[in-house]
Amino acid sequence: MEATEAAHGEHHTSLGVDNRMLLMWIFLASECLFFGSLISTYLIYKGESLVRPLPDDVFDIPLTSLSTFVLLVSSFTMVLAVYAAHHNFPKMMKLSLLSTILLGLVFLGFQVYEFRLFGSEGLNLSTNQFGASFFVLTGFHGVHVGVGVLYLGSMLIGSMRRNGLGPSGGLYMEIAGLYWHFVDIVWIVIFTVIYLIP
Amino acid sequence: MASDAHTKGSGSTLGPRQYIQITIGLAVVTVLELIASYAGLGTVTLVTVLIVMSAVKFGVVVALFMHLRFESRVFTQMFMLGLILATAILIGLLALFWNDSTDALGPEELPPWEHHGH
Amino acid sequence: MATATGTLPQVQEETTIWTWLTTVDHKKIGTMYGISGFAFFLLAGLEALIIRTQLAVPNGAVVDADRYNQLFTMHALTMIFLGIMPLGAAFFNYFLPLMIGARDVAFPRLNALSYWVFLGGALLLTSSFIFGGAPDGGWFAYAPLSDEEFSPGAGLDFYAIGLLILGTSSLMASLNFAVTVFNMRAPGMSMMRLPVFIWMMLVVNFLLILSLPVITVALVQLVFDRNFTTNFFTPAEGGDPILWQHLFWVFAHPEVYVLILPSMGIVSEVLPVFSRKPLFGYAAIVFAGVAIGVLGFAVWSHHMFTTGLGTVPQIVFTASTMAIAVPTGIKIFNWMGTLYGGSIHFNTAMYFAVSFIALFTIGGISGVMHASPPVDSQQQDTYFIVAHIHYVLFGGAIVGIFSGLYYWFPKMTGRFLDERLGKIHFWLMFIGMNITFFPMHFLGLSGMPRRIYTYDADLGWETWNMVATIGSYMLALSIIVFLVNFFWTMRKEPTATDNPWDAPTLEWATSSPPPEHDFDVIPEVRDRDPLWYDRDHGIEKVEPPSEMHIHLPPPSYFPLLIGLGVLLLGVGVLSHLALTALGVVIVIYSIWGWALEPTE
Ligand SMILES: [Cu+2]
Repeated sequence: MEATEAAHGEHHTSLGVDNRMLLMWIFLASECLFFGSLISTYLIYKGESLVRPLPDDVFDIPLTSLSTFVLLVSSFTMVLAVYAAHHNFPKMMKLSLLSTILLGLVFLGFQVYEFRLFGSEGLNLSTNQFGASFFVLTGFHGVHVGVGVLYLGSMLIGSMRRNGLGPSGGLYMEIAGLYWHFVDIVWIVIFTVIYLIP
Repeated sequence: MASDAHTKGSGSTLGPRQYIQITIGLAVVTVLELIASYAGLGTVTLVTVLIVMSAVKFGVVVALFMHLRFESRVFTQMFMLGLILATAILIGLLALFWNDSTDALGPEELPPWEHHGH
Repeated sequence: MATATGTLPQVQEETTIWTWLTTVDHKKIGTMYGISGFAFFLLAGLEALIIRTQLAVPNGAVVDADRYNQLFTMHALTMIFLGIMPLGAAFFNYFLPLMIGARDVAFPRLNALSYWVFLGGALLLTSSFIFGGAPDGGWFAYAPLSDEEFSPGAGLDFYAIGLLILGTSSLMASLNFAVTVFNMRAPGMSMMRLPVFIWMMLVVNFLLILSLPVITVALVQLVFDRNFTTNFFTPAEGGDPILWQHLFWVFAHPEVYVLILPSMGIVSEVLPVFSRKPLFGYAAIVFAGVAIGVLGFAVWSHHMFTTGLGTVPQIVFTASTMAIAVPTGIKIFNWMGTLYGGSIHFNTAMYFAVSFIALFTIGGISGVMHASPPVDSQQQDTYFIVAHIHYVLFGGAIVGIFSGLYYWFPKMTGRFLDERLGKIHFWLMFIGMNITFFPMHFLGLSGMPRRIYTYDADLGWETWNMVATIGSYMLALSIIVFLVNFFWTMRKEPTATDNPWDAPTLEWATSSPPPEHDFDVIPEVRDRDPLWYDRDHGIEKVEPPSEMHIHLPPPSYFPLLIGLGVLLLGVGVLSHLALTALGVVIVIYSIWGWALEPTE
């Protein structure tokens, strides 16, 4: 594990792993604490709402399940994009990347629709503790999806340049993938803990 | 020149076929979750079942989609550090709030400004 | 990739404003952190002087209650986030690559970005004095006092936005440093050969990486409560102000270790050098540091004993808090073991290092006292706590930083700070610090509450308050002596050799001050004390080859631009959302420019 291990070519590092990959993983560890605190808040305020609507009044599980599947499929297309980037299939990569972005946008569309629906049923930030903690938690998840869309969009535009993403393109794509999958696993937790558990 | 040799995770043999299978597996577990939540199970059973299934999904995505299983151990250590700490703080906070002994105080034990409260 | 942008003879030494604004050199960034941090340290000291002047006599009338609340709040915020943290970051920036034998940090531009974002956040927070009043809810900003109902001014918004920006900066810096420590070490520099200062800073970085997201969430909730109609902390609407306290202290207890661990690391470097023997119990001191970091996440509720946690939580948090005394004690014994039997060379750096041990121990012991809930409920919100934190943060953190400053000054500037003035500085500070803060123990035990802006005569508090105020003026005098020393020294010719103290760590293997590329030849590490090992085994320094091709990252103005964008983003939230939009545009544009900028 130590420095004696011969690293890869000119990018010599002490642990033999890429700096940027390591940075992303440590950043994701930090993000765990971010979403952990938001989920804690949601659970602590569960049952503390003084007025309706409560989760049972507004949640539309079939609708949310649909958007959950959308995000799941986007993880699949993302992993394909990474695969294609590593194996030098530029066309497949761009196509998968584009699908991922579109699926991300669809997910965001679902979220906007859901927020408006809840709003029309009388739930907003100031209604009760459920409204406040629900919108802030899922809203920040949505912001992460939005940042991910911008991130992947930049990658897509970058890959359309004459020499694509350059020699480290596979690595860049893999790091972007880490971020995207993380946003997906946060949703896995949110879907179960917030929507399904009564 | 500095391309795949060092950017590719060392032992990942997964290809599109496997990724499709994994995705279908994840979808099936999600459907099972939905079935469980409509099946009228007792609360404790339901919560346990749901948490186990979502943990499985979580683990599969992290290990296979994010290639953590095939990468250097240091990535796993870093990520687990955050994940375990976040879980521990979540459990700690919930334990503190759900067993708040001040909630059980009788009216005569409450400080004066709380008497007229809810 | 073997491009040679910086062949040595062509490196030109021209320093214009532009080179500083676009620099990605860790030494320049460290210097900027140091100067800014010291300026804010002076500002916070000035705030403290006004506070002490107000309290010198009963019914003081220097400032009114409102201003007083702003002063003690900003004193704490400025010292913690704009003074001590950046000063720690200054040393770490400057010496991390030098001490592990690297040419720079892992992400030089990200490093510059951390600084500019810090500076923006610091100026934003401080500007609150001009724009409608500084935050006045204490550095902890307890809800519901911090809600809009009880703090209608903009002060608390400045607090929340300022801390969010500063947190972003710290997070980026910590990620960068952590990767650097793990991945950029010189050949032979295993983890268990890292200098203790690097180890302690690594713990600090992880404390920040893992605790900043928690305060981020709390601050976001505060912003939403104040501006977007949520009621997270409003009891009448089902909210719970105690949640703020929990989230705040989950961050803020680790934060106090963020403040003290760098100084523990500095002292662990200084003591062996001037005792002329290796650090006693290296492994123990490293593991104790890690243990402090881990335990630091399990003690937060000891700040909340008086909120009525219940018996079981009280027992748990008492036990975990007292457990921290064990690794802390291990460190103290290790430092004393280092001194024991050494041929001690008492210069100013050593004076500060040794007094660190004494003063920190006093603060540590009073800390264990209020780990006990019955004792704590007597001491909570009294001057006893004020005494405790100042022994830890002044007697600990600040004294340690001065030790490091005297120790590393020749490396950074090529000049030695004057020893005679240094010792005057030391004695004034040491005596002044004890005169200021020790009487606060008495004041606290005789019931004087914290954060009151006046007190009546004949409560028995006059004498010690007066003594404390006299002490604070001595502290101010000691800082003036230091400043005289600094400016006088900077006018002298540089005389320092590579390793004037005969120290064992790698930063002393290069010239003083170091060249832009740090090392002509990356050193090879054969021992925990590499330079002593080489000296004792007659290993000569490797001569640099006649022609060197050292790749240095080119300067970039994108970090500055993103920093500006982030600042606008924050200013916009406080004033007009159009500015926020502009900030977002600038940030996105600059990230693009950043990504496309050639770095090879
Ligand atoms: Cu604490």
